Amino acid sequence: MSNESILAGGTRWRKVARYSLLVTLALIMLGPFLWMIVTSLESPEVLVQFPPQFIPRNPRFSNYSEVFGELPIATFFFNSIKISVLGTIGEVIAASLAAFAFARMEFQGKKWIFSLLLATMMIPFQVTMIPVYMIMRSLGWLDSHASLIIPHFFGGAFASGAFGVFLLRQFFESIPKELEDASRIDGASRFRFFVTILLPLSKPALAVLSLFVFMGIWNDLLTPVLFLSTEEKMPLTFGLAVLETVQHNFRYDLLMAGTLLSVAPILLLYVFAQRYVTDAFLRAGVKG
Amino acid sequence: MKSRSAYLYLLPVLIGFTVFTLGPVMASLYLSLTHYEIAAAPVFVGLLNYKQLLNEQLFWQVVGNTFYYAFLYVPLSVGVSLALALLLEKKIRGITFFRTVYFLPVVTSMVAAAIIWTWIYNGDIGLLNYLLSLFGINGPKWLQNPHWALPAIALMSVWKNAGYNMMIFLAGLANIPTDYHEAARLDGASSFARFREITLPLISPVLFFVLVVTTIGAFQVFEQTYVMTNGGPGTSTLTLSYYIWQTAFSFFNLGSASALGYLFFIIVLVMTAIQFQVRKRWVYQS
Repeated sequence: MSNESILAGGTRWRKVARYSLLVTLALIMLGPFLWMIVTSLESPEVLVQFPPQFIPRNPRFSNYSEVFGELPIATFFFNSIKISVLGTIGEVIAASLAAFAFARMEFQGKKWIFSLLLATMMIPFQVTMIPVYMIMRSLGWLDSHASLIIPHFFGGAFASGAFGVFLLRQFFESIPKELEDASRIDGASRFRFFVTILLPLSKPALAVLSLFVFMGIWNDLLTPVLFLSTEEKMPLTFGLAVLETVQHNFRYDLLMAGTLLSVAPILLLYVFAQRYVTDAFLRAGVKG
Repeated sequence: MKSRSAYLYLLPVLIGFTVFTLGPVMASLYLSLTHYEIAAAPVFVGLLNYKQLLNEQLFWQVVGNTFYYAFLYVPLSVGVSLALALLLEKKIRGITFFRTVYFLPVVTSMVAAAIIWTWIYNGDIGLLNYLLSLFGINGPKWLQNPHWALPAIALMSVWKNAGYNMMIFLAGLANIPTDYHEAARLDGASSFARFREITLPLISPVLFFVLVVTTIGAFQVFEQTYVMTNGGPGTSTLTLSYYIWQTAFSFFNLGSASALGYLFFIIVLVMTAIQFQVRKRWVYQS
């Protein structure tokens, strides 16, 4: 009995320690976001004061309208949506077609092609960056959204493409082969089986891949900076980087308001979809 | 049953692979052997670019910076991720909340994170130096100080990315059968002993994977320096991938930039190969 209560005391202590650690870490993770919100609502005069104010006494929502006046945030936002949505559609289509071939068909060079695709994940973009830039130039796609969207219809040109093929192949393989045999006996073509049966059954995997690809494109800075030059074409990340150089070291209130506007959509998307993200990680479970 | 139609399904990805990866990898090998400034056609110069780079003091400093960054970032990042995963491994109340919060920075764009942290790192009125002043510490001007700028960037990157590897570790931990721990507990093993003798060997393949991927990622650090320091102050945060960018798109020396790209590629390959070599010594195989 006494032994048991000592044990219980031990676990209670351990629980307190664990929770204080968890909460401290949560504060460190959330702190910068909260600080961004606070700063975005301060006036420039308050910001230069030291010690800083942690709760804005007169929250200045006008900072947000000022950001909209300073830069075409709405245009950036629209560009980000356009590039991310179209790019995601393209990459998911290309990846699911290829994954279907790898999961369900036998063909010459299958192993070889698959390992080649996997190997591309190892190649840093800095190696291919200059020729890719030249290709875009000769296609006349520089400073056009085509350079950022169309490559995704060919499997996501920039590094991440193979990941999708890999993820979907694994999922497709887990769907019983008998389903395909049955639908083939009913006279459906292979492509028809793919579109009307396999893809609808794979909704969870497709959703997860879409989410990852979408976030990747939405958050990307390198390729927009590489291919685009006019302000009206820029996505949020690029626009934000421009705002940062324009506003460097002053008006952090505006900078934080702009940053908040750019991260809010993706953070909300994640909070609603977080269950699927966790599932994806747990299912993909890397095995040495 | 071999099917030819398979190639039709593969066609988009294969075109993309040829046009955007295989072709460029070979083209950039050729470009690395040329003198090429964007306006005129490339002129073949053999290994000249490589010779010049290897004799350049700046190149070695940039390589040094890149290794220094990886040295700061990789152990800290992997350690923090593993610690977060171990804290969240057990089914406890509020687990979803904590997991979501720790993953939030991963979802945020690096640009946004870098801008927020530039503000936090501000030497005069920044949040970090205020918090340090509460403990009587007079913090440096983080990003303007050549000694502190790179560590500051590494620290910020740990904050930004820890949640990603945490998820991978959580998946690895979930695969460890619970009866192993139960049995060891009955035998009176302490929690530290159980961690060392059970958890660590069983997740060592995952740990290995995380180490390799995190190292490759560290060598590619770009957006942080692009937004926060532009390689400065001086050349203290100039890393390989930013230097390649500068050489190509600020100095328009595309031949030299391609050679840098290849040297970079070789370094990444060698580092990965070394990790695979050492693998046998510590990764547990069942």
